[in-house]
Amino acid sequence: MNRFRAFINGADIRRFRFWVQLGFFFLLVYGGYFMINLGQSLPTFSCGFNQPGRAGVCYLLPLQHQTHIPWDSIISGRGLGILTGLLTFLAWLFVFNKAWCGYACPLGTIQDWMTSLRQKLGIRYATYNLDWFTRLKKIKYILLILLIVIPFLMANSVAGLPKLPDDMGTPFCKICPARMVIPAMTGDFSQWTVDFSTGTAAAMTGLGMLVLGIFFVGGFINKRFFCFFCPMSALHSLFSKVALLKLRKDGSKCTRCGDCYRACDMQIREIADDVESTTLVKDDCMMCFKCVAACPEEGALKASFMNIPIYESTEAGFFKRMTKRGKK
Amino acid sequence: MSAEAQVKQIEMVRRQLSRESAEALNKIEKDFPDNPKSMDYFYDLYRRVHCEGEAPHGDKKVIGTTCVQVPEELIYAVGAVPVRLCNGSHTFDQLGAEFMPAKSCSLVKATLGMLSSEVASWLDQGGDIVNVTTCDQKTKAGRLMEEAGYRVHHLELPPSKESEAARTYWQSNVNGFARSLESVTGHKITRNGLRDAIVRVGRAQQAYRRLHRLRMSPLAPILGKDVFLVTNAYFFDDIDSWTDAVEVLNDEIERRCEEGFGAAQRRAPRILFTGSPPIFPNLKLPTLIEQSGAVIVADETCSANRMLYDVVNVDEWQLYDMVDALADRALKPCTCPIFVSDEDRKRRLLELARTFAVDGVVYQAFSGCQVFEMEQRSISRFLADEGIPSLYVETDYSPDDLGQLSTRIEAFIESLKARRRRK
Ligand code: SF4
Ligand code: SF4
Ligand code: SF4
Ligand code: SF4
Ligand code: SF4
Repeated sequence: MNRFRAFINGADIRRFRFWVQLGFFFLLVYGGYFMINLGQSLPTFSCGFNQPGRAGVCYLLPLQHQTHIPWDSIISGRGLGILTGLLTFLAWLFVFNKAWCGYACPLGTIQDWMTSLRQKLGIRYATYNLDWFTRLKKIKYILLILLIVIPFLMANSVAGLPKLPDDMGTPFCKICPARMVIPAMTGDFSQWTVDFSTGTAAAMTGLGMLVLGIFFVGGFINKRFFCFFCPMSALHSLFSKVALLKLRKDGSKCTRCGDCYRACDMQIREIADDVESTTLVKDDCMMCFKCVAACPEEGALKASFMNIPIYESTEAGFFKRMTKRGKK
Repeated sequence: MSAEAQVKQIEMVRRQLSRESAEALNKIEKDFPDNPKSMDYFYDLYRRVHCEGEAPHGDKKVIGTTCVQVPEELIYAVGAVPVRLCNGSHTFDQLGAEFMPAKSCSLVKATLGMLSSEVASWLDQGGDIVNVTTCDQKTKAGRLMEEAGYRVHHLELPPSKESEAARTYWQSNVNGFARSLESVTGHKITRNGLRDAIVRVGRAQQAYRRLHRLRMSPLAPILGKDVFLVTNAYFFDDIDSWTDAVEVLNDEIERRCEEGFGAAQRRAPRILFTGSPPIFPNLKLPTLIEQSGAVIVADETCSANRMLYDVVNVDEWQLYDMVDALADRALKPCTCPIFVSDEDRKRRLLELARTFAVDGVVYQAFSGCQVFEMEQRSISRFLADEGIPSLYVETDYSPDDLGQLSTRIEAFIESLKARRRRK
């Protein structure tokens, strides 16, 4: 058992993640061809526009449809639909927490591939200035609110204002880079257009194309560029406290050496500097556990599932990884 | 002074120095029974370098450093060897008094004394030094080194490490240092070169950490005076030979642990040593502690733990990331009292005290070292609140206070023993 533990803790998390991510990428992007269907409430960008390849649908799509609903029908069957959708979403999240982002999301994986490419080319990454960064990160919550509120305002007139035009439907999808990137993985580029049918549609899809451009440029120079602004991540973080998979820290063992902070693609400073909290899943965290692999202190950081440690920082593991990677 | 008188003076200093070193070494080696066999490598090293004046690195390019904050990997990467100049000899301390105010720290005085005396064989012709702007005395000493004819790179350290601004400032200074190393040596830092240097230092740190961990054993397998000697050798020894020698020592210590062999008595109080760094030949206080029947099981000083413990993590093995990572490793975990906050130092002491089942802490401050003196109160209060007895000792390199010190140390150790019995 101890031997097994030591083996796991000495694992090269990059290699492991690479394969798991690749697996999920195939599953979520091409699974549909194999009749796999994981439902409509996946807590990850398994884009609904990727038909027939998708093996399940990103929860944000039904969510935006469902909130396009008049007040009075909330207590009807449609309201029930919202509830079951949300509960299924929560069930998925409850088990794997934000690891959906670090291990499963195809859009996240694509960003990681861009990062590897940049790394191979020896081009330095960009980082945000911390002040700016703290402010910018809030965008994801604004997007989350908007993607719920806009469809609702299409169906209801609030305070006597006119309803929003109908072509505002699924507003976030219009600007979501996944709508263009994921279907393209199956050769479908039909989303890469600006829809000139109405003014709003043109504006929204035009904005979408712009976001797509920013996604590629930003994602190349910045690690996980899009994830900082992703409303899915915002939605996760509302519920991530109760999930079974956790990232734990024992502050008394932490030297605040910052090794974990350096490894963190999401620039989460607290992972090194916070020595009080025992659970440290910050809103941007994608539970990739790179920080655990980077930490040289026995048991300072650990990934745990239902309070059972599954991957722990150890001195031996740290040096094993260092020697291995430093050799290449 | 005439040339002849100068030669004579140098000769005198040299003799005095080698006498001082030999005496200290004798005490450390001969006054204690059961030294590990593999310590002979180190005793012999000190004998050659400190007593006989052998140049440790032959004709390799040497760069002198004055603090643990210097990322030595960069120096290895330009094909040079870092040698830490912080000095522990009373002979040099007296020489250095000429350059510094009367009430300044022995360590800085001794370092300056050595650099001005042309006795030490540490540096080569180029006389390149990287001096870190840590405390006021070291900062200004950098200028004095320049006056003494050395080429000094002043590596600027921020006075606090909490803010992100401090971190980026320091990172850019370390990058500047890397460039200046390249121009001084005419060697480019390459990706492979730096990566190898990182792995090389990592291997040394891994060996150190193993030794550190072995000392957790309930029956102390090695005395602290020997460990200080070992870590001190890292200042000037060839890094690979040092690592190999430490691993051999580790194997022996591990065997001792398995056989249940203790280097000190079973009931010997376990001491955590903190404060101003013990540097050979000034191992006065550690030796005294262990002569009085206690055993040093861990330390928090920059001639040992603070220098070797914290390891670097590189995320992208490219130059841009490696240099920044080295900068982070130096700054972020450092528990040096020159920083505004003492939180990390407190936490480190507490963690060491717990994991090493420590009975008491001995806090050494060199008289004149303001920062360690200033942190004393808060640290002592903190330790007291945690129920850990501590003893504060203000001392310097001169042997004059030995008698008075030994009375205090013995009393402290007696009280620790009594406390143990009560438990
Ligand atoms: S476009 Fe984006 S938000 Fe909409 S379904 Fe696809 S992945 Fe989800
Ligand atoms: S935060 Fe990133 S990984 Fe997570 S769902 Fe959004 S795009 Fe995918
Ligand atoms: S790597 Fe480990 S010891 Fe270092 S700051 Fe992070 S948690 Fe603390
Ligand atoms: S905090 Fe750790 S698990 Fe979370 S994103 Fe950063 S490195 Fe990954
Ligand atoms: S006490 Fe602090 S400044 Fe002085 S050498 Fe040690 S680490 Fe450097």
